Amino acid sequence: MNIFDKDFKEILGSQVVSIIGGIIAGIFLASFQNKLILIPGILILIPGFLEMRGNISGSLASRISSGLFLGIIKARNPDKKIINGNVIASFLLAIFVSFCLGLFAFLFGYILLNIYFPKIILIAVIAGIIANIIEIIITLVVTFYLFRKGHDPNNVMGPFLTSTGDISSIIALLIAMVIV
Amino acid sequence: MKHLRKALEKLRKIKRESYHHLIHKLHRKHKLHKKTLFYIKEYGKHSNVPKTIIKESIKILLIASIVSSLGGLALEHIKNNLIAIVPLIILLPALNDMIGDYGSIVSGKFSTMLWKGEVKNDVFKTLKLKKLFFQIIIIGLMTAILSSILALFSAHFINSNISSIVILKIFFIVILDTLILVSLLFFTAVFAGLYYFRKKEDPNNFLIPITTAIADFGNMIVLTLLVLLIF
Repeated sequence: MNIFDKDFKEILGSQVVSIIGGIIAGIFLASFQNKLILIPGILILIPGFLEMRGNISGSLASRISSGLFLGIIKARNPDKKIINGNVIASFLLAIFVSFCLGLFAFLFGYILLNIYFPKIILIAVIAGIIANIIEIIITLVVTFYLFRKGHDPNNVMGPFLTSTGDISSIIALLIAMVIV
Repeated sequence: MKHLRKALEKLRKIKRESYHHLIHKLHRKHKLHKKTLFYIKEYGKHSNVPKTIIKESIKILLIASIVSSLGGLALEHIKNNLIAIVPLIILLPALNDMIGDYGSIVSGKFSTMLWKGEVKNDVFKTLKLKKLFFQIIIIGLMTAILSSILALFSAHFINSNISSIVILKIFFIVILDTLILVSLLFFTAVFAGLYYFRKKEDPNNFLIPITTAIADFGNMIVLTLLVLLIF
């Protein structure tokens, strides 16, 4: 039984990329630890917010990749209807889910921890919009670029989006905290 | 060619929910892959692309949000302890990603093993499965140590007052958290995978959402408990 085979190296490689992205996001988070203390309910919001980016952008990348491989979306002259539809859907989903995450953070905080801070909903929505603008552009550009270069975006986009998603989400949250 | 175009147009107009024999006919007659036909039907000229995507994604996204928020609630409960330990704050996003990724990897690989008929009746005697378990445990251990080193190194520049006891505690928490959750995810994927496969359903469709939810929620709960116990 050879444990240290090709699969082992591939999994380890993708995990190292994912960890580096996560640590960079964590450094941003730790740099603003004073702000984190001041905002009640923010830790209820953060796990869901980080996951949302991967879920929405990951699905977007996967759908576009499927379309590219099936030949329905052309790499050089993409079908605008499908691309625009995907972008609109991802954007609307992100705004809605951000709102829900903010609402859950507010409700859980209020009911279970006795924290009344409705502004957390606004922080979630603003951060969701900022993170999405960054992440949707990155997802589209990198997916098409990888496909044109002859790579399978499915193999790369997972760890790549997890890493960039973490960083953009934390930066967006910090910007939203400053704005609100 | 004209006939094919007409047939594809007809296919696009069929209601998305219903599986139509036309897909099967087109697949056999024109040698078009079923997935291509499915994609054409799903996102064709007459379909509303955003509506289709939103309708199909919204439920699972909401469930994932609730599960993650419940996990976050545990963290909020120990907020003051957690924020005081800078390396743990740095580790939070990395740990979350790492555990979730292991869930997806085990789910995907075990589902493939089931479909390929590589799983023996006595499941734990399957050599490939044993190998996957050891691989995931070793990689989990290596990445836990690596992420702790990176987090401690970064924390040193943000807040230099990290004692050697805190360093040891961080290593202990991260390694234990990773090992507990990776083992839990592995056995959940195996038992749930077998259950769905024996029910003649595709384990791929169930295992990833199940393991991701366990990873997210479990990570926050285990982390909270370990912080409360150790710090």
